[in-house]
Amino acid sequence: MSRPFVLRFVSVAFVLAGFTAAWSQQPAVQEGDAPKAASKSPYDQPPPAGPAPKMPDGKPDLSGVWNPGLSFANMGQVPLQPWADALYKERRANLSKDDPEGHCLPAGVPRISPFPQKIVQTPSLIVLLDEGNVHSYRQFFLDGRGHPKDLEPTWMGDSIAKWDGDTLVVDTVGFNDKTWLNGQGLPHSEELHVIERYRRPDLGHLEVEVTMEDAKAFTQPHTFKRTYTFMPNWEIHEYVCNEFNVDAEHLVGK
Amino acid sequence: MKKTLAALLMVLPLGAHHSFQAEYDGSKTITVKGVVKRVAWVNPHAYVYVDVASEDGKVVTWAFESLSPNALQIRGWSRNSLKEGDHVTVDAYLAKDGKPLADGSLHANSKLFTLEDGRKVFAGSSADDGGYK
Repeated sequence: MSRPFVLRFVSVAFVLAGFTAAWSQQPAVQEGDAPKAASKSPYDQPPPAGPAPKMPDGKPDLSGVWNPGLSFANMGQVPLQPWADALYKERRANLSKDDPEGHCLPAGVPRISPFPQKIVQTPSLIVLLDEGNVHSYRQFFLDGRGHPKDLEPTWMGDSIAKWDGDTLVVDTVGFNDKTWLNGQGLPHSEELHVIERYRRPDLGHLEVEVTMEDAKAFTQPHTFKRTYTFMPNWEIHEYVCNEFNVDAEHLVGK
Repeated sequence: MKKTLAALLMVLPLGAHHSFQAEYDGSKTITVKGVVKRVAWVNPHAYVYVDVASEDGKVVTWAFESLSPNALQIRGWSRNSLKEGDHVTVDAYLAKDGKPLADGSLHANSKLFTLEDGRKVFAGSSADDGGYK
């Protein structure tokens, strides 16, 4: 950055400070009164009530567009091995400036974005489409296959699934260790094993209990829960993360 | 009111794809008045460019990072919620590095645009996003 620019920036900052001071005499903008959404937002509509639908084969029908709400971020306290804890603290100290998501890399599993997800269901395969992050997809194979032998590490892992009563149990392994488990920088190793239990208690809700095992990074398995709400009048939208990711060069941390 | 807001926030995640704190300073808020030059409807964040005149008549362009287009859409706003030529008051957070974007625009993260008629649009900032604090 050229020096004249610095000076220009500083002078503008002073002018702005003056503006701000002058405006503070006027009725201030009350942030609390600002709409968090326009009135036509689907966020204003509560999820529909009613019993959970069934597929023709009698299995619960999980398909549709689902809003994770703020439960996308709630993972609780994960018990970490010392090396993982040190890495976690380093990432916290850096204010998550090196988060792979900030560079438009995949979120991995079980991390999700706050944007809606869509479930497409057939008797032998369930596909989970992510609006957020990098438009990633997951395939839950329900045809009885096991995990392939000699899995190479991947960002989203390999998922097989089965029904346990009305609960879909998804077992995922085969991860790389590049992803963060959340925005705060929770680390994991390639030994990460994720078991998700999807249950639709009624038409409007999807509950997912997530258990993470990673003997290398955690001192014990950790379980947390997410609740999604059904969005029958909404579709997943486009989100092309690396279109104009100018943030990357401005992520300075502290 | 407080209770209502808390309830609203429960279902309105904002969806930053990067750490707010690593890029912006939550304690350095600014309020500027200016004229909308352009709305860039781009991912991962929409940008609103606003021309701001200083007291000596010099005009500088600010680039305000907003939410992502999909996050704005789900809240009922569109790229036409702010139009070129609209007079706006912008509440925002300054970028930590103080550096302009590549096009020379001054860089901040918007939390609210208020139009002359009082309408409030593009409300919300990744600063409010619980997932990255």
